[in-house]
Amino acid sequence: MKKRLYLELENCIGCRSCLAACTQCGGHEERNRNYVYDVNPLVNRQTMPLMCLHCVNPACARSCPAQAIQIHETGAVLSALVEKCIGCQNCTIACPYGIPKFDTEQNLMYKCDLCIDRSKDGIPPMCASVCPTNTLQWLTDEEIEAKQKQFNLDNGKWVTSMPYLEGETNVKVNLPGILQGVTKLF
Amino acid sequence: MQMDNFRNERDQYFKEVDNLNHPNETLVKTHCSYCAMQCGMNLRVNTKTNKIVGVEPRYDWPVTLGKMCPKGVTAYQQVNNKDRLLKPLIRDDQSLKGTKNGFREASWDEAYDLIVKKFTELQENYGKDSLSVYSGVSMTNEKCYLTGKFARVGLQTRYIDYNGRFCMASAAGGLNRSLGIDRGSTIPWTDVQDTDCIFLAGSNTAECHPTMMFRVWAIQERGGYVIVADPRETPVARRADLHLDLRPGTDLALANGIVNLLIENGHIDAEFIKNHTNGFEDTKELVKQFTPEYTSAITGVAPEKIIRAAEIYGKAPNAIVMFARGIEQQIKGVDNVSGYTNMALVTGKIGRAKSGVATITGQGNGQGGREHGQKADALPGYRKIANPDHVKYVSKVWGIEPEEMPKEGVSAFEMFGLMKQKTIRALYLLCSNPAVSAPDQNYVREQMKNLDFMVCVDFYLSESAEFADVVLPTTTWAEDEGTTTNVEGRIIKINQAQMPVGESKPDWKIQVELTELMGRGKYFSHLKTPEDIFNELRVASKGGTADYYGVTWEKIDKQDGVFWPCKDEDDPGTPRLFLDKKFNHPDGRAKIFALPYRPSAEEPDEEYPLRLTTGRVVYHYLSGNQTRRIQFLRDMCPDPFVEVHPETAAKYNIDHEELVRLYTRRGETTYKVKITEAIRKDTLFVPYHWGHEKSINLLTIGELDPISRMPEFKACAAQIEKLKIKKVQ
Repeated sequence: MKKRLYLELENCIGCRSCLAACTQCGGHEERNRNYVYDVNPLVNRQTMPLMCLHCVNPACARSCPAQAIQIHETGAVLSALVEKCIGCQNCTIACPYGIPKFDTEQNLMYKCDLCIDRSKDGIPPMCASVCPTNTLQWLTDEEIEAKQKQFNLDNGKWVTSMPYLEGETNVKVNLPGILQGVTKLF
Repeated sequence: MQMDNFRNERDQYFKEVDNLNHPNETLVKTHCSYCAMQCGMNLRVNTKTNKIVGVEPRYDWPVTLGKMCPKGVTAYQQVNNKDRLLKPLIRDDQSLKGTKNGFREASWDEAYDLIVKKFTELQENYGKDSLSVYSGVSMTNEKCYLTGKFARVGLQTRYIDYNGRFCMASAAGGLNRSLGIDRGSTIPWTDVQDTDCIFLAGSNTAECHPTMMFRVWAIQERGGYVIVADPRETPVARRADLHLDLRPGTDLALANGIVNLLIENGHIDAEFIKNHTNGFEDTKELVKQFTPEYTSAITGVAPEKIIRAAEIYGKAPNAIVMFARGIEQQIKGVDNVSGYTNMALVTGKIGRAKSGVATITGQGNGQGGREHGQKADALPGYRKIANPDHVKYVSKVWGIEPEEMPKEGVSAFEMFGLMKQKTIRALYLLCSNPAVSAPDQNYVREQMKNLDFMVCVDFYLSESAEFADVVLPTTTWAEDEGTTTNVEGRIIKINQAQMPVGESKPDWKIQVELTELMGRGKYFSHLKTPEDIFNELRVASKGGTADYYGVTWEKIDKQDGVFWPCKDEDDPGTPRLFLDKKFNHPDGRAKIFALPYRPSAEEPDEEYPLRLTTGRVVYHYLSGNQTRRIQFLRDMCPDPFVEVHPETAAKYNIDHEELVRLYTRRGETTYKVKITEAIRKDTLFVPYHWGHEKSINLLTIGELDPISRMPEFKACAAQIEKLKIKKVQ
């Protein structure tokens, strides 16, 4: 059954376990490929992960003059192919979320590939495996649909990647506010 | 219960998930080396080099389901770290004590000979009790148990204690007093998400025990409530339904205030109180004065918040009270524990699923390590050295005469006092780093420096090792096997994934070999494996409160751990305590304690107007001896800092990231300022994971709780000062 990365930003505690785990994926050369931001560090401890959303029609790949960014059959937008990447950094500018990172020594772009050696066989990516708070989850479409029903916001909108910033994404995001629709038990 | 097919509960989160198997690698199932969540993990071992090369989630561990914090993910990097001690070290020049200098590599034989010579000389000249053992609980039950026996039978000294005095001693004292038993949690962690209200007091849960956070958030997603009592708006307090932002050191007033309202609101369980408790009337009388206004005046928490907290907890069909070091590291830590436990006892929200009381244990084996006799007053199975029957039983297991059993010793911090008086002249330190973790560091370091002889057993050259004459290299958790007892009271198995690095040896082996050289081998030589030690521990604990007799390594594997007490082979263990409403006091009743409020040992005054409190960050563990050597964790948090509220900062004319001098009556140091609104205006916070001049424990106070002998790390009076920066020429 196809599973997707699903993000519930309100759960994040800023432990950056996802980044530590990212370095542990076999194909990642011990470099983490995503981000966790302090939202308002002088005020409170709110944090949020910024993960590659694996766009269905990704700007990074479209902007690549060398076709170095391939899309896997699972929908994962892969890291640049070493033999094709010309180091032009178009992708880092094109991505609306600022995801691709650049290694100046190797003259090579690298980015999240959803731990493709795991996710191609249905094994959760390292980040979603370890996330202590369920900010990052690995769910079926049915499970995501159930989440959507559970967390209907009072404005009638389920805020995933809708409205899109750039286009439809394979990763689904629930912005802060998931508890707004919850009825208290007593 | 039927044993045959028994397995501890798996909850709604449990999923069958495959692991990724890398070529030329095998996976070894084990648990993390750090906190008492003891998260399940698989260590990746290269089958050609037989070395640990990485980590893979352990999805089938029912408590943590593959989840790990950043410390857990990188824990394996301790094992083959470049800082590992590979051979014993000896320092001949005593004048270099307190520095890293002057050590030379030596053989085990030479190191052992020196230790035996010095220990024997000192005991001949100054008596058996001139030696001391200072231990820790970040190691297996087997090692903790043997260390107690090593001190009392091997070295024949009364002076043994451990770093649980800085960690779990107040929780142990309070739970023993209120419930008659000190098992950290009355329920398994798989109950947490299904409760209706969790009341977290003095627990920075998100940073110190991150892998329980998905359960905490799930309570809110179901419509339940999260209440947090903490001077800081920690990541869990930020999303809590109610944040009780109390002054450090005032928990007892808050607990009394809430109990008063529970009684006033009629949210008590009169039947339960009548049939299963003592002490209610006295307590009712005492808490009357703790009106919301009176409680607010002491704690600084708005009266309406206190009223709301009592209302939520009172109305919740099921509720769990949890607490941690924030309430325990105070001179009234034991009273705080009993005070918050009163909430569960007056409402009867204990002794059933999804309701109960728990302390969130800090160290990996903080639970098991305090049960089996390395505490100054305790013998295996939670027996007491002051009880002649207990001494008789354990003496028989150990093969000594009861008269040979040394008397009760003193607590960890008090041992430094005896070092000052030269009552204690030598120290055998293992699994602990008091040169960072003890309060009032200037005093503590002075005493360690003045010892006649000191041995430190560690796998890195810790700050404490800098005071040693001999340093013995031991193994990390992944190079040995044994059991630990996690935050729930569940006994679990740590497995060996790699052979010891260099010439390092596990602690138990070092102790067996030393006792043999000291002519005490007949009590130790039969212990050839950790399992031998465990089997002796089972017998030694049999019939005690913490009864492990029915636990076997096989049963641990089969059942996903065993909850103590577990009395015999047919007993599957006890995941939930008090289901029959029988508490462990002789009359079967729990005790509701009437606890008068008293202030902290050192309250703010004109000279030192601010309250200093200390704690942890998510990237480091305890004294940081392990985590500071791991690149990812060091990158995320390289140095300590002082958190200051912006209004306070403005008053002192201090900017974000500016250096300030922070000082108390005991010491001073310099930190970078982190400005944040997530702290009280009257409070400063500094994490404690660093040594030398960066240690906040240079400033903390060595005043102790009268029962638990735990120092008051969480509250003392301090002052900050803007540093006058000289212009660079």
